Amino acid sequence: MSHQKKASDAHASSPCSDCRSKEILTLAVEIGDALLRSGGEIYRVEDTLFHILDAYGLAHFDVYVLSNGIFASVDEPDACSLSMIRHVPLGDVHLGKIAALNQLSREICAHAISLDAAWARLRDCQALSLPDAWMQGLSCGIGCACFCSIFGGSVLDAFCTLVPGIFLQYMRLSHQAKNVSKFMTNIVGSAFLTAASLLLLHLNLPIHPDKIVIGGIVPLLPGIALTTSIRNLFNGDYLSGAIHLLDALLTAMCIAVGVGFVIIFYQHIKGGAFLP
Amino acid sequence: MILQFLLAMTATASFAVLFGVPKDQFFFSSLTGALGWIGYLLFCEYGAGTAMASLMATFLLTVLSRFFAAFRKNPVTLYLLTGIFTLVPGAGIYYTSYYFIMNDMGRFTAKGIETFQIAGAISIGIIFGFSIPQKLFQFRRRVKASS
Repeated sequence: MSHQKKASDAHASSPCSDCRSKEILTLAVEIGDALLRSGGEIYRVEDTLFHILDAYGLAHFDVYVLSNGIFASVDEPDACSLSMIRHVPLGDVHLGKIAALNQLSREICAHAISLDAAWARLRDCQALSLPDAWMQGLSCGIGCACFCSIFGGSVLDAFCTLVPGIFLQYMRLSHQAKNVSKFMTNIVGSAFLTAASLLLLHLNLPIHPDKIVIGGIVPLLPGIALTTSIRNLFNGDYLSGAIHLLDALLTAMCIAVGVGFVIIFYQHIKGGAFLP
Repeated sequence: MILQFLLAMTATASFAVLFGVPKDQFFFSSLTGALGWIGYLLFCEYGAGTAMASLMATFLLTVLSRFFAAFRKNPVTLYLLTGIFTLVPGAGIYYTSYYFIMNDMGRFTAKGIETFQIAGAISIGIIFGFSIPQKLFQFRRRVKASS
């Protein structure tokens, strides 16, 4: 967070007054940073940076983007040479931001927008937030219930998934606020769901615990990581693709560990197998 | 089948909320997810294995996402990422872990391999979907605009 503040301060004071290229590069890197942070593919970020720098009249530049970093440099013959490195941790996916930034870069490329206006628009895009916590919780619960139902659960199973689904999202939000590691969130989340389903089974409800867990773990699944990884690999960004692929594999493993741990624990208490 | 379609659509729509999809794109992203799931069910019904059905459904999903992206002038990501969740092998992960705990090594291996097959099939489906030249989608949009 601190480095982002520094960047905007630099923009406000602009120490080198005739250095227009610095402002352009800062804008481009800020846009790239926001895109990458909200889950854009490498190809899109690189392409956007190239087009923005090109649209503002820079000719000698180079950009290299990884899934957690941006390297950009400008070396115009009549101005000082600049380079910028930005570390971008893997963050929350926010597709609305990607769409808004995409629109902004489209306008910049059509030369429809001045540098100052572009900064103002970028601030607007960065201010876009995810829906409120209760909305997220509710939609997560409904999503889990629907997934439970389409994967073969009964109506009762779907209802039983709704409540753990809502809690799951709240738990993820609080873990995010406390900076808990993603591995821990996945392990604890899937363990919580399994425990909830087994508890309901223990209350002698006619439910299918496996369907409840399968529906409930959908928000934890590494679908986004897998898709982004394949798209990066397809575009030739092997390193970034590998990073996301590893992320997907580890997430899947964490889910399996969380589920397995609770089942072992349950077996110990009950002293026997239960039907899946 | 209609019920499955509606449920898949609701499920994808609620995930679209979680990922902050803009409100005017909700319909299209949930439609992509629902059609992908229905495609999967249909391919399964006509005798494709889970892996093959996943491949075909992911291909369908990718092509639809790209079509909507060109049609609505938005990034493909918007439709593809929300839609993919119906096809990711969550059940595979659960059963693999379950059979491992139950010491049922035969079924554990079978489920584990199936899960990896599905993940691979999804990858191949995405790759096939993106191999179609972009021009084709722009052509389709022009046809749609002129009619």
